[in-house]
Amino acid sequence: MSDILITAFALSVVLVGIHAFFGTEIIRRGIIFTDLAIGQMAALGAAASLFFIDGQFVYPISLGFALAGGLLIAWASRHTDNLEAFIGLMYAFGISAVYIILSKSAHGMEEFQRLMASDILFTPQEEVVKTAIIYAVLGVVLFALYRRIDGFWKDALFFVSFAVTVTSSVKLAGVLIVFALLVAPALIAIRVGGGRPLVVAWIVGTLVNLVAIALAHRFDFPTGYTIVFCNALLALLVTIIPRRAKRG
Amino acid sequence: MKRTVLIPLAVAMIASVAAPLRAERLKVVTTYPYIASIVEQIAKDTVRVDALARGDYDPHTIVPKPSFIAKLRKAHLLIINGAQLEIGWLPPLLKQANNASVNPGTRGFLDLSGHVTLIDVPKSVSRAQGDVHPDGNPHYYIDPHVIPRLARAICTKLSEVDSRNAAMYKKNYDEFAARWKAKRASWDAKLRRLKGAKVIQYHKNMDYLLIRYGLVRMGTVEPLPGIPPTSKHIAELEKIFESNTIRFILQDVYNADDSSRHLSKKFGVKMVKVPHDVGAVREAEGIFSLFDEMVRRLTQ
Repeated sequence: MSDILITAFALSVVLVGIHAFFGTEIIRRGIIFTDLAIGQMAALGAAASLFFIDGQFVYPISLGFALAGGLLIAWASRHTDNLEAFIGLMYAFGISAVYIILSKSAHGMEEFQRLMASDILFTPQEEVVKTAIIYAVLGVVLFALYRRIDGFWKDALFFVSFAVTVTSSVKLAGVLIVFALLVAPALIAIRVGGGRPLVVAWIVGTLVNLVAIALAHRFDFPTGYTIVFCNALLALLVTIIPRRAKRG
Repeated sequence: MKRTVLIPLAVAMIASVAAPLRAERLKVVTTYPYIASIVEQIAKDTVRVDALARGDYDPHTIVPKPSFIAKLRKAHLLIINGAQLEIGWLPPLLKQANNASVNPGTRGFLDLSGHVTLIDVPKSVSRAQGDVHPDGNPHYYIDPHVIPRLARAICTKLSEVDSRNAAMYKKNYDEFAARWKAKRASWDAKLRRLKGAKVIQYHKNMDYLLIRYGLVRMGTVEPLPGIPPTSKHIAELEKIFESNTIRFILQDVYNADDSSRHLSKKFGVKMVKVPHDVGAVREAEGIFSLFDEMVRRLTQ
């Protein structure tokens, strides 16, 4: 049994690794729902593939939709003052389009959900290793380039890499876990303060995931939902509990 | 002096290691509770049987929990409904459990759908035709005439995996079959009175029972399997209600019943919530009471 829990834990650590960066960045930019909007665009791509061409080329098509979504948000971030509204509506558009497409396909929604979000319990070890390598490379590229460029290219790099990450993460762990790991550790880190929010987010995220997976195993809860629950709960608590004044 | 202590200690140690080996019961895992209940009838307490899914959930979509994998790992025998009813949730569990002795095709695996004749087997599977169960309608066990066949398949498989107890399984099966036959006579008598009654179902999950007893299937509340009702489809159903005398609307316990309730109210047709599995409703505690309750709700 432990091997599966270790794999799930390893995956959650890999996810926290890259998503904590994106998380601090989207909280700073004030565009939290970018993740859900891009994830939903990827889902729309998958639904289109499932319905029109019997589920062929699911990954490239959903990645294409996600990239298009990411670039649209990058464009909108420079050309509209109502970015949050734009992102929120892109999410609503994506989810409603998925429902409309799949309303003509028997048991399509179930198949679609399986396609979109495998359970974190089911991720094979090879997949975790592969993802870890891809995200490490992506992380190095971001680390090397992100500070050096500016303007539209910076946004484009951010949204494109974010789209790629969200698409593959959602496929591995499901949209809810990705959202929780993206926002909760980053929010906790920002709230706790200190000079290095990214490092704090990594440590907090890893510890919370460890506790969540242990709880899920101990009480036989669905693993994914327990991870989301623990991350969200801690982030809510840290936000609600007043910070002690740092003076004096 | 030392020896007098050591020998009993050694004996105790050997005994404590050997005892669990001897006492280890055959571990049977079933996907649904109704299968577990039949296994209990055949094996009594010689085996340990666990059902993965709960009877009150939608059998098509079961949320996996860590214990499912643990159970599959330790299992000596896995019995499934088959006909793709588990397709949405079992394959990844089996893959992660990685237990070679219960994988499909092995000796420790039994697919009950192989022992029945399925209806609605599509000639060609296409999403546009609204059919993703390429093996046919998987809800076959809802017919009381099918259950003994399943029990016999289970008895044969148990005897194959655990041949030492074969005689006992056979005896229990014979007893079960006799009791079932007696019970079935009373269910048959009650359900035959419904012959010719026109019914609407939410999902096509009662077809085998309706065909067996000659009820007339007039349509389903969902437009396609797994798709929630649309306004156009409900309008079409309303026409059916207007021009026919519909006896019941059969609703399962896990789908939203708003549309069935609406139709029931509008046309004064009774909506019956039919348990589809052991544990779907409080009264359905085992395979016998499942059918007792099903028949009671249909005939009261």
